[in-house]
Amino acid sequence: MSSKYGGYMGKFLEIDLSSGQVRDYEVSDELREKYLGSKGLAARILYDATEKGVDPLGPDNVLIVNTGPLVASGAPCTSRFNVSTKSPLTGGVLSSNCGGNFGIHLKKAGLDGIIVRGKADKPTWIHIEDGEVELRDGSDLWGLDTEETQKKLPKKSGKMVIGPAGENGVLYACIISQERAAGRGGAGAVMGSKNVKAITASGKAKVPVANPEKFQSDVKRWIKILQGHPSTGEMMPAYGTAAFVNRCNETNTLPTHNFQRGSFEEADAISGETLAETLLTKNFGCTSCVIKCGRRVKVGGKDVKGPEFETLGLLGPNIENSDLAKICQWNYEADLVGIDTISLGNTLGFAMELTEKGLLKSDLKFGQTEGISEIIRDIAYRRGLGAELAEGVKRMSEKYGGKDFAMHAKGMEFASYEPRGAVGHGLGYAIANRGGCHIAGGYMIYFEANGPLTMDPLTTHAKPHLTALMQILLDSLSDAGSCQFTAFTAVPKQALNLKPSGLIYRIAAKALEGFGPSIFLMLKYPKALAFVPPMELLQHPRVITDLTGMKMTFGKYIEIGERTYLIERLFNIREGVNQDTLPRRSTDELQIPSDPRTRVPLAKMLPVYYRLRGLDRCGAPTPKTLARLGVRG
Amino acid sequence: MPTVKFFATLRQAAGARQIELEAGTVKELLNRLSTDYEGKLDRYIKISTVLVNGKNVSNMKGQKTKLRPDDVVSIFPPLGGG
Repeated sequence: MSSKYGGYMGKFLEIDLSSGQVRDYEVSDELREKYLGSKGLAARILYDATEKGVDPLGPDNVLIVNTGPLVASGAPCTSRFNVSTKSPLTGGVLSSNCGGNFGIHLKKAGLDGIIVRGKADKPTWIHIEDGEVELRDGSDLWGLDTEETQKKLPKKSGKMVIGPAGENGVLYACIISQERAAGRGGAGAVMGSKNVKAITASGKAKVPVANPEKFQSDVKRWIKILQGHPSTGEMMPAYGTAAFVNRCNETNTLPTHNFQRGSFEEADAISGETLAETLLTKNFGCTSCVIKCGRRVKVGGKDVKGPEFETLGLLGPNIENSDLAKICQWNYEADLVGIDTISLGNTLGFAMELTEKGLLKSDLKFGQTEGISEIIRDIAYRRGLGAELAEGVKRMSEKYGGKDFAMHAKGMEFASYEPRGAVGHGLGYAIANRGGCHIAGGYMIYFEANGPLTMDPLTTHAKPHLTALMQILLDSLSDAGSCQFTAFTAVPKQALNLKPSGLIYRIAAKALEGFGPSIFLMLKYPKALAFVPPMELLQHPRVITDLTGMKMTFGKYIEIGERTYLIERLFNIREGVNQDTLPRRSTDELQIPSDPRTRVPLAKMLPVYYRLRGLDRCGAPTPKTLARLGVRG
Repeated sequence: MPTVKFFATLRQAAGARQIELEAGTVKELLNRLSTDYEGKLDRYIKISTVLVNGKNVSNMKGQKTKLRPDDVVSIFPPLGGG
């Protein structure tokens, strides 16, 4: 098995833990052309490698760990690896993306990816070296936290590990690699259910490049663009993703008191600015990163990873907490036991509101920080109330009530954006295949509240269209193996110099609302977009062309993102996870009682979105759409 | 008079979280900031988004947006996050 394209190692392995057998898994170049890699390719494999109704925590589920062509190529911000599986949290498709360095090591080990199936009869550590797989005894590692586990593994290898939460099947247990997390949807629990504590990879293989000279020169230019752009070259290194705390607070999109409000009086106390002024020791980045959005902070005298925006929002305002040091501490503790901090903060907020309303007996209380560290450990070990919280918001609402304010979509807890302040972002939560995720939902907040060019956040005009386009582009970025933050240069530096508060932006913001028909045509006839976009706008198709030798036009790139969404959607439909809904708090309760527009008019946007993406009235891909993109069910 | 809030690198450059500044429109306010801070903030303000009471002025009347005494003007350089 090999590939005629650059960027790929040409090898994918299937590891059956039940039998101990390792075999090649055939991935054709036709599949690479269609899905590129990472998320899209993994979704295709997931669909094919599992049977309908597979138990997410049973031996027949598969855990796919793979990369995109850009990974380990030398292109900037491309150390990502993807983990795909059937999610124990949602019962639907899960793709969870992670930085660090494991992706790079996996490719250096000579592999594009692995498929892990079955269940080991004892705790196991999968070691991959130069394309060879060894199943090692992981008994000594079982029970250790993610930091201790990584310390015991070979220093020079790439590592992905689970903590006690993954071992104990917490439905939102994550996988940790260095200090980064494949956070969402419970991939850590799937790994734990297979008795796999760790996967390590090392080797000396090099990624083949189709056009090395052109690739090097375009990569050099790309790095210059990223470093010279105010977002990626200045703000993100200085404040990280945490810079969004204040911006969201000002635009009523910061979830507060379990998403009852969109702003928090004490937001500045937990903001990126305050973090930079107080606890920050330095910033850091993943291998190959030139942005370096990561934070390092002091917790108990120890230098550890600091919180990101999502963690700050959900363990801050969402539970009415303004103690930044506590958030840093909980963030570290959650990483140690291997829990997704987004679902954690959302679930805590929900449990606090349940308690406030008398639906749950607990000591949890908004604004009360005592006992949260203990609760985090109790969740990881499924003890007492922790065992309930380990099930996530959806299941808790089925048991205790409160479905109207259980802030999830398809079972996945919302990320740290209050959608009633940006209704397109709300649509994104509803139609994202993995559930209430900001990235999989198209990240419309950037064009509604947080970016330099924003449209009216409460209008529905062109929101379904832009959501679809953004989803497609972000999926394509993931498929390539690129960090999503490279997209922040999509509004070029030169355009920022046109004054975001001036007339041109005013016209552009209005024009965005009328952009719907253009996007409709773009998605209907992607092949007509036979050009490679200028470097400043979207670097990826050009660099992928240099690297792989595929002629990656903008139209082809869009089609790859479209296929990714469709195959994930087909998986969800097969598994019965096809409800594109939001809780009533988002759709029916007004965020600002005097403003009738401050709710998500989902019923109005959904049919437009479905038509645009070639889905039927129930949200299923039509045969015509599947035929057009060559996706089979 | 309107409250002006500074964020990110602009906060560092201004050396304050927020100030109060007399101005009738956004344009007037930005001009006053340039004058009062002797051009020190110009580099940041030029590329910044301006919100009035949480609403982007590019969705209002741009720099012609009128200001009332109790308005809050938030100025953000281009951020990244998520």
